[in-house]
Amino acid sequence: MKNLVGVLSLALGLAAGPARAADPIKIGMIAPLTGAWASEGQEMKRNGELLAAELNAKGGLLGKNVELVVEDDGGDPRTASLAAQRLTSRGVVAVIGTYGSAVTEATQTIFDEEGILQIANGSTAVRLTEKGLPYFFRTCPRDDEQGRVAAAVIQKSGAKRVALVHDSSAYSKGLADEINGILKSKGVTPVFFEALTPKEQDYSAILSKLRAVSPEIVFFTGYYPEAGLLLKQKRQMGWNVPFVGGDAINNPDLVKLAGKEAAQGFRFLSPPVPKDLDTPEARAYVAAYQKKYGEEPKSIYGVLAGDGFRVIARAIEATKSTDAKKLRDYLVGGLKDFPGYTGRIAFNAKGDRVGELYRVYMVDAAGRFVLQP
Amino acid sequence: MRLFLEQCTNGLAVGSIYALIALGYTMVYGVLKLINFAHGDLFTFGAYLGMTLLASMLASERVEVGLGLVLLVVMVMGLVAVLGVVLERVAYRPVRSAPRLNAVVSALGASIFLQNALMLAYGGSPQRYEEVLPQTALSVFGLQIPVVRIAVVVAAVAMMAVLYFFVQRTRVGAAIRATAIDPDAARLMGIDVNRIVMLVFVVGPALGGAAGLLVGLLYGSISFTMGWSYGMKAFTAAILGGIGNIPGAMLGGLLLGLVEALGAAYLSMAWRDAIAYGVLILILIVRPSGLLGERVADKV
Repeated sequence: MKNLVGVLSLALGLAAGPARAADPIKIGMIAPLTGAWASEGQEMKRNGELLAAELNAKGGLLGKNVELVVEDDGGDPRTASLAAQRLTSRGVVAVIGTYGSAVTEATQTIFDEEGILQIANGSTAVRLTEKGLPYFFRTCPRDDEQGRVAAAVIQKSGAKRVALVHDSSAYSKGLADEINGILKSKGVTPVFFEALTPKEQDYSAILSKLRAVSPEIVFFTGYYPEAGLLLKQKRQMGWNVPFVGGDAINNPDLVKLAGKEAAQGFRFLSPPVPKDLDTPEARAYVAAYQKKYGEEPKSIYGVLAGDGFRVIARAIEATKSTDAKKLRDYLVGGLKDFPGYTGRIAFNAKGDRVGELYRVYMVDAAGRFVLQP
Repeated sequence: MRLFLEQCTNGLAVGSIYALIALGYTMVYGVLKLINFAHGDLFTFGAYLGMTLLASMLASERVEVGLGLVLLVVMVMGLVAVLGVVLERVAYRPVRSAPRLNAVVSALGASIFLQNALMLAYGGSPQRYEEVLPQTALSVFGLQIPVVRIAVVVAAVAMMAVLYFFVQRTRVGAAIRATAIDPDAARLMGIDVNRIVMLVFVVGPALGGAAGLLVGLLYGSISFTMGWSYGMKAFTAAILGGIGNIPGAMLGGLLLGLVEALGAAYLSMAWRDAIAYGVLILILIVRPSGLLGERVADKV
């Protein structure tokens, strides 16, 4: 009986064809497809699907097709926990995502407990890699680097009265604390350090309060929906103080929400935006994206998700396995100078990406993001 | 002092929007003793319809701005009023003689339906209004007040004044007040209660829809979940002023806006909602029927 079953399965397996085996390798993606950060999530998905299609066209991974399984986290930690559970039950070997640090934090332990590799693309809060979770990596940089660059920008501006505004989220408060610490160690004490409530519309209260302390520069460490509203309402009030932002403000919707006049002159920190990626492979990728979707990738976090996908694919190919422990060991020890579209990628033992990525950008009068020297 | 005055003007702008939405809640409650949970979503519908109409008006380039805005307000109010009437027919009239709970559940169901209809039609991410009002500030008594806020307050106060006049000084207004006091007695006086109910569902949603349009013009961005947060605040405002009482809703809305703005400025931004609801609790402890609500004697 066993023999018969064995023979039958062998026959079926052979009959399935020489090209690909029946069950694909599933790579998961958790992204904010709906909600306040929907534009980021949709781009993450597009990048992932493009790369999966390209990979399958070249023969797939280990002779099998790659299937991208996408779940929506809604930009909210609660929805994300459910989405993460669903992904683990669908048999994914690794997960890419997600964007918001608080949202990623909600999913970390779920994936870690199931032994599934996770590569976040947009979560820069320092503590995510300080918990000793062996299967957590990120292709995005970290807020201690961002804090240093931010403090340098503030000091270069010569401002003595500095205001820091955050939104109490894991990422935002963390970054604000980093900047606060560095500024204080250099003898500059911020005149304002408070939080606004995210996902609201009316920020006139905090803007009025800010204006009352007359800062020379305001650094906002929150996300782009709130930044857009802040810039717009600041202009409505007739106030001209320079605003600088962190990397979560890097999204083209910023200019849409604030309006071109209000956004002009606003500066923010970010890894290089897609149009500034200058290796030949990156440019070819951007062209392929444009061909498939009719427009260039607008958000670097989507491309970072793409790099996360490619890194996983490389690890699977190199270790010839989908075992999370082997993949992890490869990523930490074996992956050196991987040519990612966003730059050379290597990971340290904590799962952080090695290298200095942050640049300063300014929004020009036409609403374009211009790299500052 | 400057911060105080600035915050007062900010609070008035937000408060007048709460007041417009609160009027919808209070009028429906007054006449039907029903909390229209779907009202916040009618407000959101107004915002989205306004966005679409504004975009097409600007695209056609045939209407000049001033006239266009007035037309926009009228159109949005009309469309949301129609939606309000349909809502009443479909979700509330069939359960009017049933226990109160049925109507509440029906209202919640309608709310979920409307919210998701908007999400399916327009997508999950926040949408944007074109900037048609000047995005500058006017200097008034040394304060820099955004022009958009002045416009919103003026528009809202105008609408509330018209409503007040309508309810207090016309026969139809008297009929509405009579129905709110006692529908059976009103019927005996020859008032067609069904038509009054329909009228209330025209006026209330129209004001809510107009509020949605104003929010879009003021902040420039709208999302399909805003009905929940604005609706909750407006409902609070209606209770604060005395549910069922029209001047109460106006007062409650303005007061809530002011308290929120001043609380956010002087106490803490993050506690803004807590302060607003805290005030509500305090006032209800002292005056359970709300600020302008009447003490109705219990029939023993």
